[in-house]
Amino acid sequence: MRNIILYIIILTAGVLCSCEKEIDVKLQGAAKKYVIEAVVTDKAGGCRVLISQTKDFNEDNTPITVSGARVQIGTGDSSVMLVENTPGVYESSALKGIPGTTYNLQVNIESETFTARSTMPSLVKMDSLYITEEMFFGDKYKLPTISYMDPVGALNFYRFMVYVNGTKKKQIFAFNDELTDGNRNATRLFVDVDQDDVEDEEKIKTGDLVKVEMLTIDAPIYKYFFSLENSATGDSNSATPANPVSNIQGGALGYFSVHTLQSMEVRVP
Amino acid sequence: MKILLLGALVLLMGTTSFAQNKFTVSGTVKSASKGETIIGATVSAGANHVTRTNEYGFYSLTLPEGTYPLVISSVSFTAYSDSLNLRKNTVVNIDLLDAEQTLEEVVISSTASNRRSLGSPQMGMEKISPQDIKNVPVLLGEKDAIKVLQLLPGIKSAGEGNSGMYVRGGAADQNLILLDEATVYNASHLLGFFSTFNSDAVKDIAVYKAGMPAQYGGRLSSVLDIKMNDGNNQDFNVSGGVGLISAKLNVEGPIQKGKSSFLVSGRRTYADMFLKLSNDSSINTNQLYFYDFNAKMNYQLGEKDRLYISGYLGNDHLGVGDLFGLDWGNTTGTLRWNHIFNNKLFSNTSLIYSNYKYKIGINSGADIFDIFSNIRDYNLKQEFQWYLNNKNSLRFGLNSTYHTIRPGEVTSPDSSSVNDKLMQKRYSLDNAVFATNTWKASDKFSLTYGLRLSAFSILGEGDFYNIDGEGKVLDTVHYKSGEVVKTYLNLEPRLAASYQFNNSSSVKASYVRNTQNLHLIANSTSSTPTDKWVASTNIIKPEISDQFSLGYYKDLRDGLYELNVETYYKTMQNQIDYRDGADVYNGNNAIESELLFGKGRAYGVEWLLRKRTGRLSGWISYTLSKTERQINGINNGDWYNARQDRTHDIAIVAMYQLNKKWTLSANWVYYTGDAVTFPAGKYIIDDQTTYYYTERNGYRMPNYHRLDLGATMQLKQRKRWSSELTFSLYNAYGRENAYTIEFQDSKDDPNKTVANQLAIFKFIPSVSYNFKFK
Repeated sequence: MRNIILYIIILTAGVLCSCEKEIDVKLQGAAKKYVIEAVVTDKAGGCRVLISQTKDFNEDNTPITVSGARVQIGTGDSSVMLVENTPGVYESSALKGIPGTTYNLQVNIESETFTARSTMPSLVKMDSLYITEEMFFGDKYKLPTISYMDPVGALNFYRFMVYVNGTKKKQIFAFNDELTDGNRNATRLFVDVDQDDVEDEEKIKTGDLVKVEMLTIDAPIYKYFFSLENSATGDSNSATPANPVSNIQGGALGYFSVHTLQSMEVRVP
Repeated sequence: MKILLLGALVLLMGTTSFAQNKFTVSGTVKSASKGETIIGATVSAGANHVTRTNEYGFYSLTLPEGTYPLVISSVSFTAYSDSLNLRKNTVVNIDLLDAEQTLEEVVISSTASNRRSLGSPQMGMEKISPQDIKNVPVLLGEKDAIKVLQLLPGIKSAGEGNSGMYVRGGAADQNLILLDEATVYNASHLLGFFSTFNSDAVKDIAVYKAGMPAQYGGRLSSVLDIKMNDGNNQDFNVSGGVGLISAKLNVEGPIQKGKSSFLVSGRRTYADMFLKLSNDSSINTNQLYFYDFNAKMNYQLGEKDRLYISGYLGNDHLGVGDLFGLDWGNTTGTLRWNHIFNNKLFSNTSLIYSNYKYKIGINSGADIFDIFSNIRDYNLKQEFQWYLNNKNSLRFGLNSTYHTIRPGEVTSPDSSSVNDKLMQKRYSLDNAVFATNTWKASDKFSLTYGLRLSAFSILGEGDFYNIDGEGKVLDTVHYKSGEVVKTYLNLEPRLAASYQFNNSSSVKASYVRNTQNLHLIANSTSSTPTDKWVASTNIIKPEISDQFSLGYYKDLRDGLYELNVETYYKTMQNQIDYRDGADVYNGNNAIESELLFGKGRAYGVEWLLRKRTGRLSGWISYTLSKTERQINGINNGDWYNARQDRTHDIAIVAMYQLNKKWTLSANWVYYTGDAVTFPAGKYIIDDQTTYYYTERNGYRMPNYHRLDLGATMQLKQRKRWSSELTFSLYNAYGRENAYTIEFQDSKDDPNKTVANQLAIFKFIPSVSYNFKFK
């Protein structure tokens, strides 16, 4: 919502001057840090850990992959060792998460050890996916809308990912049920709304194939994505910039998320 | 400590109050043309017997029997002088004539309401005059007292075009903003671009950066005391104006001539109509406007009593189609009763109401709900001013405020997917007693010593928490309605001294402690109307500041110029910030679990060179300062620059009266860019570029500078009608000052990242038309 307010300031002031330009900022850089993005889903083949390192701002965006790490994921009783099939990508085709179970991640890179825990929440059934329309800042947007019934009582956290014609949208959609506990939800994803520099042709339009993945996530992962969206996307309008609140111990960036995954597709009418 | 000081006070006064054959001259000073009482008029009976009228125009001077030259003067009035033969206690009520009515030639404008007093211990205080507000060019021509204050040393604007202010390293919520004694919790309109103070209705503006007198308390860094006009009790007057973004009308006049009067002033912006002119459909469906009203009445009830009723109502609306709406505004009301017990004892009793609220409305698909929040005060203030003798003047009283905070409750219709959420209200009682004495020890040395004792009681009903270092709630304690959760007692000494070397120079020093029990929890980068006000709790401790200040004051060339140099060192305890990743809108009662606490320090030197009279008037101000914070959990617990830390801050303001018709003005500002957090690196998460941060506020926004030009043209004047046109050009050389800097993937090459700077105001011209009819 804060973003909405600031967006309006900028739009309104834009009547007077919209003087946006690229500038050269001298950034000092920092010692490299490991980045671990670890995921376990309730589907076979959904277990994947990406390990990379931070780069300086002026370098390109291609990640520096980290090979030769020892990556294990398990419950208290047993664990599996992940296999590095491509550089920096560690996988286990067999590991499939079970709702209600807590998993431990351990990553060893040279002498350093990183650990994390995550619990797979219960599945909340994704009932339907459809498109609604909304006028926003004078333009009509087609918004993917997901219907599901939030379970009463328990705290539930959700994350959605949107693919349009196979391309993933670079936006974060994370929600909790603080205000919607126990209700039927029709969550609208404001794809491309309030995003800078989205050209008209990039917006969702009639005939596009829209795929939405729905994840149920645990509280620390919700906090991770909430704080990532609010303070680490490079957008100077939101909260004071800071690293997202990670569930990884040992000083690495990133997260370890064990979540359920469902997906639906719709052709945009 | 307190008893000792009070004892000393009584002793001091005891030594001087038994002199023989002394009499008192007292009275009220008013404007002859309007009947407005004059604040701060100089009353002198010879060089050694000088006083000033108080905020209600009252003065009292006690002198040995004799004959004195009595002179009463105030800027833009013709001085009154007469011989005073003091053989008994005497009342001299004076109506001063307007200077303009008596001068035939071009009126030489004077830029400030009152010259600062070299001999008074008060330091760190600035006043601005209606002329300054009228002539200094501002954004879109909307005259604004706070924007003029921001051009003075030690007072910094909260950003491009912003009416928020940072005083001597304090945050925007650490300013006590009073309108006729009522607290204004959000003094901004239109997302901060304009202030809530309609300059047409304002009589006097004083800002205290240091040495706050003991009658003020409750905020750490400054007091902004704004007093509304009382209303003309001689003639009916209508004035108004039409500008690019707003229109306003002001009506005042006598209810009973010479005895009572009223004033009504209103303002409405039409920025949204301005938006509709845009062809861009992304802009013209937004709604954005504000309005405000000031009203006041006063009655003279005989010789000794006067009653004032004043009120303010303001509202802002911001909307995006039907999807999103945000309304916010302040309401204040003040009922005051002045009573003159005798020629030495003046009393004022005030009953004050203040309410700040906001409401957010969301209507998005199945998500339909409102969020409502407010903070409401009932306040009783009793104050006495006792002009004991010609060496001591004492001021004492008490203040009791009951605060209710409603932190943001959610309501929704049945069809909505959102549930109602009613959060607990927070109640508190804010009590204070204060006493202060100004002791003129000798012709050269004066001392003000005072004490304020504040007692802030947090009251039930409600749940209060114990939390651990990680912010987890350990247990919850329920308190019944009216039950005291905790009382914070704070003693706040207020000391100030002055030593006058000669009639053109003096030094002053002061020490002041302030405490603050209402905190605005903002997420740092910029403030919005929905930032949360929270009261102290068992975990949120009162903020405390201690400020030492030293100043040198010099009149140059017979008072044509004045030079002030002040330096300060301030420490702040129990400063508040959000934890990383805090959910600012969470509906949790335990907001403490999202907060971190630490300390701050600020120091600096401020120079002000001012020319008050002549065709050319204005000032140059320069501030060199440092402001830092240290909070465990932020920046590895190391000290870091506060956002508002700006090393250099310069303002040059010039006004030139070309002839009877034209007045020209210009101001130029330059300041070091704000301290900001920029990324040290980047990485990919979820296929998106994510930025890596290592230190808080380790970088600077680009340095800011801007020139504004203004001109006022007096149109043909008739007996009952006068009007003028005001032109201004904001950012006259079109500097693109950074409003935001964003880091993002390059449009041209998505495998690269770039920094994009956005500037929002460049060459903004405006014209407005103002008229007066009487």
